[in-house]
Amino acid sequence: MNIGLEAFLGLSAVLFALGLYGALSKRSAVMVLMSLELMAVAVGLNLVAFSRFVTPEAMTGQAFAIFAMVVSAAEIGLALAIVIAIYRHARSVELSALERLKG
Amino acid sequence: MTGYWLIAPEVIVTLGALIALFGNMLPGKDRTTALLSAALCVGATAVAWLATPGEAIFGGLLTSSAPASVMRVAILLLTAVWLLWLSSRGYEGERSREAVAMALFSVTGALLLTHTTELITMFIALELATIPAYMLMGYRRRDIHGLEGALKYFLLSMLTSLIMLYGLSFLYGLTGTTHFGQIAEALPGTGTLGLIAAVLTMVGLFSKLSAAPFHFWAPDSYAGAPAASVAFVSTVPKLAGVLVLIHLVQAFQGIPGIELVLAFAAAASMLLGNLSALGQTDTRRLMAYSGVAHTGYLLIGLAGAVAVGGGQEGYLATTFYAIAYSIPSLAIMLVVAEEGDSVADMTGLATRRPWVAWAMLAWLVSLIGIPPLAGFFGKLYLFETGLEAGLAWLVLIGVVTSIISAAYYFRIVRAMFLAPAEEAPDRPAGEVAASRSADAALVIALVATVAVGVGASLVMRALGWV
Repeated sequence: MNIGLEAFLGLSAVLFALGLYGALSKRSAVMVLMSLELMAVAVGLNLVAFSRFVTPEAMTGQAFAIFAMVVSAAEIGLALAIVIAIYRHARSVELSALERLKG
Repeated sequence: MTGYWLIAPEVIVTLGALIALFGNMLPGKDRTTALLSAALCVGATAVAWLATPGEAIFGGLLTSSAPASVMRVAILLLTAVWLLWLSSRGYEGERSREAVAMALFSVTGALLLTHTTELITMFIALELATIPAYMLMGYRRRDIHGLEGALKYFLLSMLTSLIMLYGLSFLYGLTGTTHFGQIAEALPGTGTLGLIAAVLTMVGLFSKLSAAPFHFWAPDSYAGAPAASVAFVSTVPKLAGVLVLIHLVQAFQGIPGIELVLAFAAAASMLLGNLSALGQTDTRRLMAYSGVAHTGYLLIGLAGAVAVGGGQEGYLATTFYAIAYSIPSLAIMLVVAEEGDSVADMTGLATRRPWVAWAMLAWLVSLIGIPPLAGFFGKLYLFETGLEAGLAWLVLIGVVTSIISAAYYFRIVRAMFLAPAEEAPDRPAGEVAASRSADAALVIALVATVAVGVGASLVMRALGWV
């Protein structure tokens, strides 16, 4: 059985939608970060699938996917550092506890 | 300057950042680090100015252009002014050498961003310009407000970055290339999917430029952060962001419907920004909403340029306004960092430090757009492009909201010049210590605001206006 480009794009769209839903609905900062990672994975899958089916001889999409992964790993690392610093003050990582800034 | 000399400014600034990371070992620590970095930025300015336009290096990953050279000079000079100010004021209660390093890394990303003509390089440069900004916003690690603002900034910024990345993957998939020029050729034939990919891509940049409806991070994050960080984050990375948005819109201009997206974002930003700024009592929050509004004015130029099928005037007007807006904005935030965060803290500034109060008046007047200062000519060029493109309704919103904006800017003026002394809050520290380098930074910003206004035609010619 041949699996086409559409199957990969569909799976990636589902993952992206799940991640987006999680990022917008979860109350814990750590869960939001995990949802963001899920979106990053969806993008990576998209890029690699396009690379395989659209430009099989050039590796552009795969190179793009690797760069995107490294950047999102760095960003998540930084975000966790901020979350830990917040936890030291507030003893909580719930986003609902972060409502000092309003207006 | 040709060939690999094009990236010499980036190399100089990166070296400065690496030196700043070891600022502990320099004699004089914070002050020496900031002054040395400011000197390096000025040196890099000279190299950036000498770049030959239209040269491509690294197989077309980076391409120089006249607007990019002007933007690079503006980025480096604004950073130098900020560092000069930081060298004497620093961050109250924190060491500032790491902030210097973070700012310089962000500048490296911003400089790369001005030259990118390819998606992968663009994405990496954009993230390099913003990741240090999160750290600057949460720089006081013992201050929960700053950390909360930084986390909010991070979450929305990363979410929109990923949406943009999803859009970029479709741009690449639809066209089979990551170079802007080839994307522009292939994109008009892709129909609705191309429009969706383009809109997803622009979401990321709208959020970095705090354009409505993706501006929610800005007020909270600015109000929690140290004003000195806000001065940098709200101006320098934004300059590069505007230029890359212009490059992307140039690649997207063949898609039908794109000017409506830009016009909608412009109208929403101008209305939401200006109306929300009216009731603010914290100057940082007020300036955050004013930044949203000014991004709205910028988008008029882009919408106009796309509506006439790629008019160079609109793109140049947008570039000019980005520079004209960022100089006063940086200077006002530096004064806020000296005087205190709320509008009431400005009370009596005219008697305490008369020349700073008059300089503030000039910057605020420039933001409103009164001649002969930089902001007036910027708005004039933008509104002209909008009218020529037949977007009269958008220009009307721009003019009306500019008048509304005078109301909240003049609240600051009233506090400085007219408010009775009893309205002033108790000042714990009393006088702001005199400092020659901080004053020099403000004077340079004042001269630049006047010079960009009086010499507007010279700047436009340097940008490539014919």
